[in-house]
Amino acid sequence: MKYTMRYLSLLAVLGGSMLWGQGSISGQVKMVGSGPPLRAIKMDADPVCSAAHTKPVYPETVTVAEDGSLANVIISITAGLEGQTFATPTAVVVLDQSGCQYLPHVWGVMAGQTLEIRNSDATMHNIHSQSKVNRAFNIAMPKVIKKKNQVFKKAEAPFKIKCDVHPWMVTWGAVFDHPFFAVTDAAGGYSLENVPAGTYTVQAWHESSKRLPAQTQTVTVTDGAAAGLDFTFTPVRRRK
Amino acid sequence: MSESNDHHEMSYWRKYIFSQDHKVIGLQYAFTAMFFLIFGFSLMLIMRWQLAYPGEAVPLIGWLLGETNAPGGIILPEFYNSLGAMHGTIMIFLGIVPLAVGAFGNYIVPLQIGAPDMAFPKLNMASYWSYFVGGVVMLSSFFVPGGAANSGWTSYPPLADIATTGQTMWLFGMIFLITSSLLGAVNFIVTIIQLRAPGLTWMRLPFFVWAQLVTAFLLLLAFPPLEAAGVLQLMDRLAGTSFFLPSGLVISGELLEVSGGGSPLLWQHLFWFLAHPEVYVLILPAMGIVAEVIATNTRKPLWGYRPMVYSTIFLGFMSFVVWAHHMYMTGMGTVISAFFQTTTMIISIPSVVILSALFISLWGGSIRFTTPMLFALGFLPMFGIGGLTGLPLGLAAADIHLHDTYYVIGHFHYIVAPGTIFAMFAGIYHWFPKVTGRRLNETLGKIHFWGSFVCMNGIFFPMLIQGLAGVSRRLWDGGEQYAHAQGTLWANEVMSISAWALFVFQIPFLINLIRSIRGGEKVGDNPWNATTLEWTAPSPPPHGNFSATPQVYRTAYEYSLPDRDSDFLPQSEPGEGS
Amino acid sequence: MESLLGLPLLASANGGEVDRLIVITHWLMAVLFIGWGAFFIFTLVRFRAGRNPRADYHGITNHYNTYVETAVAVVETILLVGFALPIWGAAKGEPPAEADATVVRLVAEQFAWNIHYPGPDGIFGRTAAELVDAQTNPLGLDSSDPNATDDILTINQLHLPVDKPAIIYLSSKDVLHSFGLPEMRVKQDIIPGLNIPTWFVPVLTTAEYRSIKGDPAINYEIACAQLCGLGHYRMRGFMTIETQAEFEAWLVDQGPFLIDDDDEWGDW
Repeated sequence: MKYTMRYLSLLAVLGGSMLWGQGSISGQVKMVGSGPPLRAIKMDADPVCSAAHTKPVYPETVTVAEDGSLANVIISITAGLEGQTFATPTAVVVLDQSGCQYLPHVWGVMAGQTLEIRNSDATMHNIHSQSKVNRAFNIAMPKVIKKKNQVFKKAEAPFKIKCDVHPWMVTWGAVFDHPFFAVTDAAGGYSLENVPAGTYTVQAWHESSKRLPAQTQTVTVTDGAAAGLDFTFTPVRRRK
Repeated sequence: MSESNDHHEMSYWRKYIFSQDHKVIGLQYAFTAMFFLIFGFSLMLIMRWQLAYPGEAVPLIGWLLGETNAPGGIILPEFYNSLGAMHGTIMIFLGIVPLAVGAFGNYIVPLQIGAPDMAFPKLNMASYWSYFVGGVVMLSSFFVPGGAANSGWTSYPPLADIATTGQTMWLFGMIFLITSSLLGAVNFIVTIIQLRAPGLTWMRLPFFVWAQLVTAFLLLLAFPPLEAAGVLQLMDRLAGTSFFLPSGLVISGELLEVSGGGSPLLWQHLFWFLAHPEVYVLILPAMGIVAEVIATNTRKPLWGYRPMVYSTIFLGFMSFVVWAHHMYMTGMGTVISAFFQTTTMIISIPSVVILSALFISLWGGSIRFTTPMLFALGFLPMFGIGGLTGLPLGLAAADIHLHDTYYVIGHFHYIVAPGTIFAMFAGIYHWFPKVTGRRLNETLGKIHFWGSFVCMNGIFFPMLIQGLAGVSRRLWDGGEQYAHAQGTLWANEVMSISAWALFVFQIPFLINLIRSIRGGEKVGDNPWNATTLEWTAPSPPPHGNFSATPQVYRTAYEYSLPDRDSDFLPQSEPGEGS
Repeated sequence: MESLLGLPLLASANGGEVDRLIVITHWLMAVLFIGWGAFFIFTLVRFRAGRNPRADYHGITNHYNTYVETAVAVVETILLVGFALPIWGAAKGEPPAEADATVVRLVAEQFAWNIHYPGPDGIFGRTAAELVDAQTNPLGLDSSDPNATDDILTINQLHLPVDKPAIIYLSSKDVLHSFGLPEMRVKQDIIPGLNIPTWFVPVLTTAEYRSIKGDPAINYEIACAQLCGLGHYRMRGFMTIETQAEFEAWLVDQGPFLIDDDDEWGDW
């Protein structure tokens, strides 16, 4: 019975993609107005950090270009893939700690995929996750530890990972049970490839969730076609 | 054989595992405690690698530590903190206290007071098994996610409140250990008060028994606050209370969702209300053993027996009013600090009296340098250094510079390691013939002593140097990155090599112990020609100890009485004498 | 004795007293240890069984020992009453007047020192735990409080003017820490929920310190002296002691933490 179900769902997926094929979703994310005023990070807190930079470094809380293109937004399919399973990619996702900053600032992995955490600095960082679905962890990476692999077992909405040694160091990660997610680049662009034809709910999430709450839109993907899907964030006004 | 005590054959399990005989329980304590002492010591040997060669992979055994603790053999800071917390916990609560009280107290006290057993044999058994369970819980905590407790042996909240699962295990383990100590303490008090042989008046008691009696009172009165505190911390961790958490804590950038209103200082007061008397729990039995060994091997009475007894009782009382000298730096005002500095200076006086009495006891003696005597003699100057280095720490103003530095580590290790542990060794060499009817090998014993003596100083003296330079304790890299530490970093390697050498010098001891149980030189019931009651029992003493209840005629140390040919007069021998 | 003990270079006005107490106490310790040690070794040699086959039942019958013990008690009393209590009173009793001092807040967290200067108005702005954001507002400084607008924040960088009392209010965001300045002979635990002042008078500038040490790169350091978690070992801050003019220039250079902002609609 169990096997039958599994074959059926496999057939459905294969059949689905053969019958209805695959397409892509791509688009751009913009923001209205400018982000918060930002003050340069005081890297002199650790001589190793200040030595790594010649120019001032700013927090990446809201990275918005002059034309309003909004980077570091996680775009993912949140509904429409029910019952389907997807192979875990073997490629690793790299999260580097370099110059006392996280590269990239926002990232996503699939459940079971390896996140390779690197320490490219000659100082200690600690990886303090605030995940709730996956077990939270807090691991020190002294300068002698250069690499540490981490695997998240379950899908989880975006959560924070922090370095407590350098309090400004924050990165956001999300774990998905499917491969259809992306993080917008500096130009606000993204694309989700090889999406099975169908109708989906797509979410755009930004870490500044108080002022830029997540948005969803519905999109239909047809075989061989590129569906366009843009998002625009308008900061919400909140009384203090 | 007294019929009431030895009337039926017991099964193997009743005789050796769930035994109610104080001697079997004493040996169970001894072996378990020695296992934990070696285990706790091994944790430190691993830490010492990291301190001597920070960030380098541990050679040979690095892979054993596990990838999460030591990837590629490099000890991670969180694992280092676990090792440190567990070293302290294991050495104190699972090693020395069970050895000093559980093993020596159980085995020797009933024999020295001429009793057939402890007053409550079943309680005694329960005490051991509670200790055993506590030990198993502590050991298994290494295997829970996040590893063993890593907030120091002091488990200060809020750090301990928010620490990984190992801390919960630590608290459960402590509750078992405290329960064990409480059961034991009640038993010792009743036994010593009620089961003394006829004629064994208070001032005729061997000093060791006095030391155990005061120790038992300390355990009984000091441990309950820590047990309560442990339960409160468990509630903080498991039930969402905040006894030790103030409001408005922000952990790693996130507001901690607790009701708040608690105080981290409450834990420190409750903890040190136990942990300072605990220092005397570690020390008094050691002084007791040293007094026995010195009297026997100088062939003369202890000098100043009465002042020693009074000092011990006074120490016991005073140890309850000095606890906050561990907390000078917590923001203590001038009045409270004046009170605790004064009590701290006062408590140093009885310690000086006891130590002086032991020194003076040597004068006029006919000193035999047997292995137990060497360890007892080694105890004196080492405990002296430990006690003296307590002075600047006890004066709050000097403590400003020395608090939480390696000076503190050096200070209390001088008291506990070459102090108490040397006394334990003295006791083992001294009473081994009573337990087995055989003697430990003297040559191996002397190698053991001299090697340990040199290595102990090689480990702990440099700590005082580092401490004066201001190097903080509990640093993963041994202070490598601090400018003020640079001048004393050389000491890290010296201390580590001394520690590893110290381990090597325990091998002759272990060989000696194992070999001598069956193959040691056979000796009579009283090989040292000692005076106290245990030496009149057969070696090893049977179930029930004495063939007839001994009658006591005199004080404990009637050696070299003038006008007698024999240089000792046992307590139970009828005849003249005090 | 002072050089024998290897204490760090002294750079504060108040630390001399602490050092004096440490030195005197160590003299007492040395005298006692050498005295007892000499007695001990002499006794062991003189009364070894080979030389003294029969012990003396009575041993010492004089009372020198009582005199020694009394002397120890007297010296300890002198140390306590004459030195320890007054020095402690000066170090931890009443702080100096804030008007004549540099007043700084220090908020410790795992594993950094947040330093908070009140700015030109001399008044610390309100902070609240609910406003803390790791990236943008580490202390939760309230931008609606007018006193907060000129406040200056740094991480791990404490600057103070020389020859002027410094009062530092210590608090913690999370766990226990301990504020240690080895060269200033300053140490004070930081207790979450409490705001504890500590004070000292730095007398050697960083430049002077460097030239004495012969190391142009050396800094005064803030050492965390209380186990605070896995990063405890590297919870190291830096302290710069400079002239009043240099100090003021540095403050200007740091600039106020809050940026004038017309967006009044909440945190990001």
